[in-house]
Amino acid sequence: MGALGFHIPSLIIYLVNFLILLVVLYLFGYKPLLRMMDQRATRIRESLEEAERVRRESEERQAEMQRRLEEARQEGQQFLQQAREMAERYRQEESERARKEAQAMVERARSEIQREREQAVEELRQEFAALAVAAAERVIQRSLNAQDHRDIIEDVLKESEEIGRS
Amino acid sequence: MPANPAARRLLLLAGAVLLALLLAGLVTGAIGAAFLGREPLLSKPEVHLAPQPVTGVSGEASGEHGEGPAGLPSGFVLTNTLLSSWIATVLLLLFFFFATRRMSLVPGGLQNFAEWVVETLHNFVQGVVGPEYGRRFFPMIATIFLFVAVNAWLELLPIYQSLGFKNADGELSTHLLRAAATDLNMPLAIALVSFVFVEYWGLRAHGTRYLGEFFRVSSFWHGIRRFSPGLLFQGAIDIFVGLLEFLSHGIRVISFTFRLFGNITAGEILLLVAGFLVPFVALLPFYGLELLVGFIQALIFAGLTLGFVAVAVAPHEGEGHSEERG
Repeated sequence: MGALGFHIPSLIIYLVNFLILLVVLYLFGYKPLLRMMDQRATRIRESLEEAERVRRESEERQAEMQRRLEEARQEGQQFLQQAREMAERYRQEESERARKEAQAMVERARSEIQREREQAVEELRQEFAALAVAAAERVIQRSLNAQDHRDIIEDVLKESEEIGRS
Repeated sequence: MPANPAARRLLLLAGAVLLALLLAGLVTGAIGAAFLGREPLLSKPEVHLAPQPVTGVSGEASGEHGEGPAGLPSGFVLTNTLLSSWIATVLLLLFFFFATRRMSLVPGGLQNFAEWVVETLHNFVQGVVGPEYGRRFFPMIATIFLFVAVNAWLELLPIYQSLGFKNADGELSTHLLRAAATDLNMPLAIALVSFVFVEYWGLRAHGTRYLGEFFRVSSFWHGIRRFSPGLLFQGAIDIFVGLLEFLSHGIRVISFTFRLFGNITAGEILLLVAGFLVPFVALLPFYGLELLVGFIQALIFAGLTLGFVAVAVAPHEGEGHSEERG
């Protein structure tokens, strides 16, 4: 063994040397490095998850916005439709009312005219009767008894009515 | 061939220089010298198996040591291999010191490299024993790997061959630095650490049942009590198997030691002889080979330790899942 170099003190030194190296490397090399790598892995995983979450949220938000926009559009369309219908109804109502009013006015005018005409005819007839009586008195130059008087007047009135009607 | 004419010219020049060096090596090396009848450029390499002390070496003292493979003195001696292992240790410590000095979440430079090293080794360990034990075994496995690899690679530095003390004849006889693994004590120390590591984890995982693997007397005992020759025979076989297991654990230390020692020493001798025969260029492939050998030996040492400890903590057959009893 001596020829190969086996040497207890050297062996002990190598042992101690190696153990020191092991401990120091563990404490100041592997441990901080592994911790750092773990931290980084955690951080990256968290970042990826965060990014995924944000993406999903923004997608949801966009969908929500799209939905609201669609809703608003439909609502506007509905309002427009309602307004159009209302305008149409109003227009119809108004025209109907105007038509009725005009008709009423025409009706009133017509009845007024009728009334005036009847009144005129009545006045004319009375005037004409008086005129006829006077004329007849003058023509006959005599006084008639009451019965005759009345007969003649009736005759004249009848005639005059016929005249008035024709 | 690169299309760039300047690069092509540079490449041709480099090739020509390499060729010239190779020819010069062939002529001045031992091979050419033998043909031409001259002295070779380098003196014939001496092979010392035992490490040489480098403290208190005067010309005469080193001459004494250079004469034969005499044993080292009984007390502490600073040998060239020990010095070299300290350099490796310091290099590793410095590397990790600078790599972890200003760590940031976004790694750069040395930290990046150190993280790559640590992560690769960590994945290697985890791949064998899983994440739970991976973290616990990792420091030991990684340190074995790094220490063996750095020690093996340091040997390839030119100063390992050229720095040293001259003997009375004016020849370089005692190297100042020498690959640590060529000192039997260094692989032996790591092998012992590896052995204790494996047995410690075996005991911790299985408690006293772990020792039962080596002393399998229970079925022999049954055989004695029941006077059953079949059981007795099986018991004897069990005891023998336990003894073999016991021996194999001890033999691991020896095989660990001599595998590393032999490989690195052989590499050193190979480089010495190749350099002696053809000093230039032709020994470059051997340097490449030694780089690979250093890496592989480190991987084997760390990997076998990992394998042994994985077997030691694995649940035994017929034991069920009572590992945490101890």
